[in-house]
Amino acid sequence: MESNDKKYIEVWEDVVDMKDLVLSLIICSITTMGGYFLAPNDETKPLIFGLIGTVIGFIICTVIFKPKRTFEYIEEEE
Amino acid sequence: MDISLIIQMVIAAVIGATLYTIIGIAPGTDETAVLAPVTLVLVLMGIQPIVILSFFISAIVAKKLTDSIPVAIAGIPGGVMAAPMVEHAMVLKKYGLPDVSIRKMASGSVIGTIVAVPLSLLLASLLAPFGGNIAQYAGPIFFGGAVFLALMSKNRWLALASILPFAILIQGLRHLYWGIGIIPEDKTVFTSFFLGITIGPIILTLFELINKDIRQKKPRYGKKEIKVMKQKPTKGFPNPFKILERSEVRTTSFASFLGVVTFFMSPVGMTIFLGEALTKYIKDPVKRASRAIASMDGLTNATYISGTLIPLIAIGLPLSPTAIGPAIALFNAPPVLTEEHNLHHLLTMTDFVVATIIGAVIAIGLTYYVTVKYSQQICAFVFKYVPHEALLGVFFALVLMLAYRDAGLINIAGVFLIGIVAGTLHRWGVNYGVQFMVLYAAPWLLGLFS
Repeated sequence: MESNDKKYIEVWEDVVDMKDLVLSLIICSITTMGGYFLAPNDETKPLIFGLIGTVIGFIICTVIFKPKRTFEYIEEEE
Repeated sequence: MDISLIIQMVIAAVIGATLYTIIGIAPGTDETAVLAPVTLVLVLMGIQPIVILSFFISAIVAKKLTDSIPVAIAGIPGGVMAAPMVEHAMVLKKYGLPDVSIRKMASGSVIGTIVAVPLSLLLASLLAPFGGNIAQYAGPIFFGGAVFLALMSKNRWLALASILPFAILIQGLRHLYWGIGIIPEDKTVFTSFFLGITIGPIILTLFELINKDIRQKKPRYGKKEIKVMKQKPTKGFPNPFKILERSEVRTTSFASFLGVVTFFMSPVGMTIFLGEALTKYIKDPVKRASRAIASMDGLTNATYISGTLIPLIAIGLPLSPTAIGPAIALFNAPPVLTEEHNLHHLLTMTDFVVATIIGAVIAIGLTYYVTVKYSQQICAFVFKYVPHEALLGVFFALVLMLAYRDAGLINIAGVFLIGIVAGTLHRWGVNYGVQFMVLYAAPWLLGLFS
């Protein structure tokens, strides 16, 4: 099992995998800026499309990357 | 005010509460970094100011309700503001009472909101007649604010020494943009510089990681282990006045009152100071801890609401740590909102009251109920399925987009530069408050030298 390997770094109070972090920055940037540039050129549409792009990026990253946390319930100890 | 506007406000408040219930639980989310960019985008999209206000109020109430949940369950603060509560929550956890923790904290939050909303509106209308005069002296006031916050911080001399250099960086970039003609002279880049400061620590870390030596020396961690105590389900709609003992209601109300009156002070500082001062005399560790977390949670909620509403209604300038941080987009989001044309000028007192009440009631109704009943399930969901990388990606992408929108491609590099400097200063102990104040004071401060 690789789960106990110490290979994660801490960014903003939680641990991340460096490769996953770089990839998710790239994915979210591409979906966001992609939305921004594909939108019809007026006052507000680019922002709306950009925001939709961000949400899509977030969903993609959530699906392809696993959180670097282990989670377990413990029974109440009296 | 017609019915369709009210429906819009209700929908905005529901979205705000839902979104920030989830974000509030995710560990390590700084209030400013998660609230400011989203609010900014909404403002720039041209959504009605009154709708945005109810979104924002609902978002802060929900965020403040939920960011203490991971503290109670796993000892991990869900935000900067929840950090002071860790110690007390750990006491309750040690005695096997994490569910008590959550209920007390959430109920404290509700009481903080109930105290803060009317009191803030009242205080704001008392201060309003003086607002016009205050606004004239914005430059010196922000500079004074920067000096004041610097002196209050732990590394005061470093913070003081950083004020002028940091102001030069900000104004220097603005003059460069004007000089090479990518920004007209009457436009000032603000939003993206603000965000550059906010995500400074992340930008600095990313740049550092490019250096091979630093990358190899970075401390490494295994997976974050989170253990959660099973809790018993509760029945019916929770009542904060039943969950809290009468003495806890009293202390929490009093702490919230003080939080409102000291709206211009740092919320984290006040929370630590008052939370400890008001509970020091209690001997029984469990009673002491539960009173402390209830009153601290009430207090943080109260300072956030008052810090947003009072400057917004009375002055129109972001003269509180909350206003200059998470709530900044309500004051200044050029070109839609500026210091001369923001919610202060656009909304009437009735608008403020209606938007605030809709936001607060919906957030309490939804989030408080869900928090008390399903905190464990939500926590499990967020911890298990939402990777930290995705959250970082979202905020990075938002900053990128807003930087590009402000001043084109070059400004992405400009925002990186500000992020590197701001992140370094942050790491050395110059807090956000000082940096945001400098961002505001910079034009006036450097004007002194001409």
